Amino acid sequence: MERAMFRRLFLVAFLALAGTQMARAEAPTVTAVLTTSETEEGRPVQLQIKVTGDADAVPPNDIAVDGLEIRYTGQSQLVEGRNFHFSYSFIYSYTILPLKAGTFTIPPQTVRTNGGEMHTPALTLNVAPNDGAATRSRRGRNSSAGGAIDERKLVFAELIVPKTSAYVGEIVPVEIRLGFNTRVRARLAEGPNLTGQGFTTQRMPEPKQSMETIEGVTYQIVTFKTAIAAARSGKFEVGPVEAKALVQVPRSAGSGGSRSPFDLFGMNDPFSDPFFNDPFAGIPEQRQIEIKSQPATLDVKPLPPNAPASFAGAVGIFNLTTEVKPKTAQVGDPFTVTATLSGRGNFDRVTAPGLADDRGWHTYPPSANFKADDDVGLSGTKTFEMVLTPNENKTAVPPLVWSYFDPLTESYVTLKSDKLPVVVEGWAAPAPGAAVASTSATPPPAARPTPATQAEDILYQLTDPPHWVQGFTPLFLRPEFWAAQAVPLLALIGFFGWKSRERRLANREGQKLAAWEQETAELQKRLRRADEPPDQYFAGALRLVQLKTALVRRMEPNSVDAEATASAFQLDDERRERVRELFRRSDEARYSGRQNGHSPVNEQTRGEVLELIENLS
Amino acid sequence: MHTRFSILLLTAILCLTNASRVTAQPEPAFIKANADFAAGHFPEAIKGYESLVKEHHWSASLFYNLGNAYFRVGDFGHAILNYERALALQPAQPEAQANLRLVRDQSRALELAQSWPEEHLAFLTANQYAILAAVAFWCAAFTLAGLVFAQRRPVVWIFILVLLCAITAGSVFAISAFESGRADRDQAIVTAQKVQARLATAENAGTVLVLPPGSEIKILSTRGQWSYAALPNDLRGWIPADSAERVRL
Repeated sequence: MERAMFRRLFLVAFLALAGTQMARAEAPTVTAVLTTSETEEGRPVQLQIKVTGDADAVPPNDIAVDGLEIRYTGQSQLVEGRNFHFSYSFIYSYTILPLKAGTFTIPPQTVRTNGGEMHTPALTLNVAPNDGAATRSRRGRNSSAGGAIDERKLVFAELIVPKTSAYVGEIVPVEIRLGFNTRVRARLAEGPNLTGQGFTTQRMPEPKQSMETIEGVTYQIVTFKTAIAAARSGKFEVGPVEAKALVQVPRSAGSGGSRSPFDLFGMNDPFSDPFFNDPFAGIPEQRQIEIKSQPATLDVKPLPPNAPASFAGAVGIFNLTTEVKPKTAQVGDPFTVTATLSGRGNFDRVTAPGLADDRGWHTYPPSANFKADDDVGLSGTKTFEMVLTPNENKTAVPPLVWSYFDPLTESYVTLKSDKLPVVVEGWAAPAPGAAVASTSATPPPAARPTPATQAEDILYQLTDPPHWVQGFTPLFLRPEFWAAQAVPLLALIGFFGWKSRERRLANREGQKLAAWEQETAELQKRLRRADEPPDQYFAGALRLVQLKTALVRRMEPNSVDAEATASAFQLDDERRERVRELFRRSDEARYSGRQNGHSPVNEQTRGEVLELIENLS
Repeated sequence: MHTRFSILLLTAILCLTNASRVTAQPEPAFIKANADFAAGHFPEAIKGYESLVKEHHWSASLFYNLGNAYFRVGDFGHAILNYERALALQPAQPEAQANLRLVRDQSRALELAQSWPEEHLAFLTANQYAILAAVAFWCAAFTLAGLVFAQRRPVVWIFILVLLCAITAGSVFAISAFESGRADRDQAIVTAQKVQARLATAENAGTVLVLPPGSEIKILSTRGQWSYAALPNDLRGWIPADSAERVRL
C-alpha cells in the first residue's frame, strides 16, 4: 500500500517536471538537410526540414528550383530527450528529382512558426549527368539511401587474348574473367561459352576465384583459363564470351509505370507513394542476366612451306630425350625405345618420332601417354614407347627424328636423338636345314650350300605319317582324362579298405588275447584256493597251462598239449615230465570215471602244481 | 536268338570296316597333298590339306604343311594361323616354331603380349602340367592315406606330402594361366588383308589399330558381323567377324 502510494507520487513528480521543462522550452528552431549533396541526373535525393519546438509550424508548400522537381512527401515527428530535457521535432520531407545535370542551390525557405517566420539555410546540390536516367523511374524511391546499385555494374565478362597474331595450330592461351558485384548475390547459371569459328578450344578446367575492386566496386572475379588453336589461316574474331548469371537484386520501385493512376496531375496523392506501386519492394528479386564480353581479334598466319618430312603439325617449343631397354637382346627379340617429348605447344598434334634409318628393324605401332604440367594442357610431357626388333646384327638403335614449328623463331626445328647403343646377340647364318624349302618328299641335305636369299625361306615339308589327334581340346578338358582318374581313385579306395580291414583284424586278435589274459589271472586266483575237488582243480590247472602256452604261441588254447607247452617254454626234462603228468592227471580226472572224491587237493600237490605253472614263463 | 546274334555280328563288322576306312583314308590324301606341294602345285596342295582338316583329320604335321603351302602362295595370315594350330597340337614342334617366326617377321604381324605366368612357366605345356598335376595329386593322396594308417609319422613323409600338394597347386595355377592367357581358346589370327580394328561396329568408325595379316588377337565377343577383340598393345576394338579365325578348331 505504501509502495503504491510512493509510485503515484513519483509519477506525479515526473509529469510535473516534464511539464516544467516543456513549459520553459526554448524558442522554435528550423534546419534543413539533404540526404546527399552529390547525385546524378534522374537519381532522387531527399530534403528534410526539421522544426523543433513548434507543433504548429507551417512548412513551405512549394519549393521551386529550375532543373529540380521538388515535391512534398509528408511529415514525421521526433521526440528527443536529453538529461530529462525533452523536445518535439517535426520533420517535413521533400523529394528532389534532378532533371538535369549541374550545381543547384536550394534557396532559404520560409517556415511560419509561433515565434514568427523562420528561414532554412541555403543548400547546394551537385547533379552529375547520367545517360541511363531516361530509363529510370522518375518517381521511384531508392532501394537504399545513397547506396543504389547500378545494374550495369552487377556483372561483367572480360576476354583476354594475349596475342593478336599466331600461326595455324599454335596454342594461344585465353583467359575469361567473369565479375560479380559482391553487394548482390549472384551465381553463374550457364557458360561461359567462347564463340567463334576457325579455331579449336582446349578444355576449360575448374575456375579460380578472387576478389577485386574496380572503380570503387568490389567484384568477385571468376577466372577461366583455356587455350585456342587456329585451324586455318586468316583473321578471326575470338568471342565474345557469353554466359548467364542468376542475380538477386533489390526490387526497383515503379519499374512498371511512372506514377500512380490516381495522381494524374502530379498532386500530392497518398496512393502515389511507391509502396503502392510495388508492395514487395525491398524483397530481392532473382533475375537472369546475360553477360557478354567484347570479342578479340586474332590474325592467324599459315605455316611456312617446305616443312620437314618428319613434321606432323606440332607447333611450339619441344625437347626430345630417348632411352632404350634392354641393352642386350637376341635377333628378333624386342627393344623398347622410350621417346619423351616435353615442352609447350599443341600436344594433340605431337606424334611419335620415327627412326632415321629403319633398315634391319621391325617397328611396331607405338603407345603414347601425355602428362600435362598445367590445367589447360599447354605444357607437359608426351611419352612414346616403341617396340623395335632387330632382324640382323645391330650395334645401336638409329637416331629418332622429329620436327616441329617454333613460332618464336618462325622456323621449323628438327630434333634428332643420339644413337642408342645396344648389343644384338645370337646373330648367325640360319642353319642349313632351316634355309631350304624342300620340294621333295625327303628333307634336304644338311651340307647343301645356302644362298643368301634363301636365308628368309621356310623349312621343309613333313612327310612322315602324321599322328592324328582327336581335337584341340586340352587334356584336362577331355573325358578320358577324368575317366583315367578312376584308376588311382579305385586304388586309393582299395588301399583304404585293405588297411581298415587289417586294423580291424588286429583289434579282434588283441581282444582275444586280452580275454585269455583275464582268464589266466582268474584261474591263478582260483587254483590258490584249497576248496576245489581234484577233477575241477586239475581241469583248471590244465586250462591255465594251455592259456599261458597260447599267449606265448598265439594259438588256440584248446589245441595246446604237453609237448607244445614244453616246446613253447623250452622246459628241461624234469619239468617236461611234470607237465606231462599234469596233463595225464587232468585227463584221468576228466575221462577215467574213477571217483576222485570230493575232498580238496592236498596242500603238497597244490603247491607243486602252482609252482610248475607259475614258473612257465 | 539267332537273329539277334546276326544283327550284333553285322554291326560289329560295319563298325570295324568303318573304323579301318577312317584310319586308312587320310594317309593317301596327305601323301598326295605333299606330292602336290613338292611339284609346286601349291593351290592343289592347300585344297588337299584343307579337305583333311574339314574331315577332322588333324595333326600337327598336317597344319604345319598347310601353313607352308599358304606361305608359298603369299597368304601370310593363313600360314600363321596353321602354324599356330600345329603348335597348339604339338607345342614343341621346332619346324612350326621356326617358320612361324619367319612368317611373322615377313608379314610384320602383331602379337599379343604374354602374361608373366605364360612367360615363366612355359617349360611345360598345359597338357604336361595336367599330367603333372594328376600324378602329384594322387601321390599326395596315397601319401596322406599312408600317413593316416601309419603308427608313426616321419617328418620326411610329411614334407613329401607338402611338396606334392605344392606341385599340384602350382600345376593347376599354370593350367589356369595358360587357359586364360594369350593362347587360350579365344586366340585368333587375322587372316584378311587390311583389317582395321575400330571403335564401334561401323565401317566409318574411328580406327584403333591396323592389323597386318597374321596378327594375333583374342575374340572377346561377337555381335552380328563384328567381333570385339583384345588387340596387341593392350588395345581393344571391333573387327569384321570374318577377318579372323580361331586357332583352336
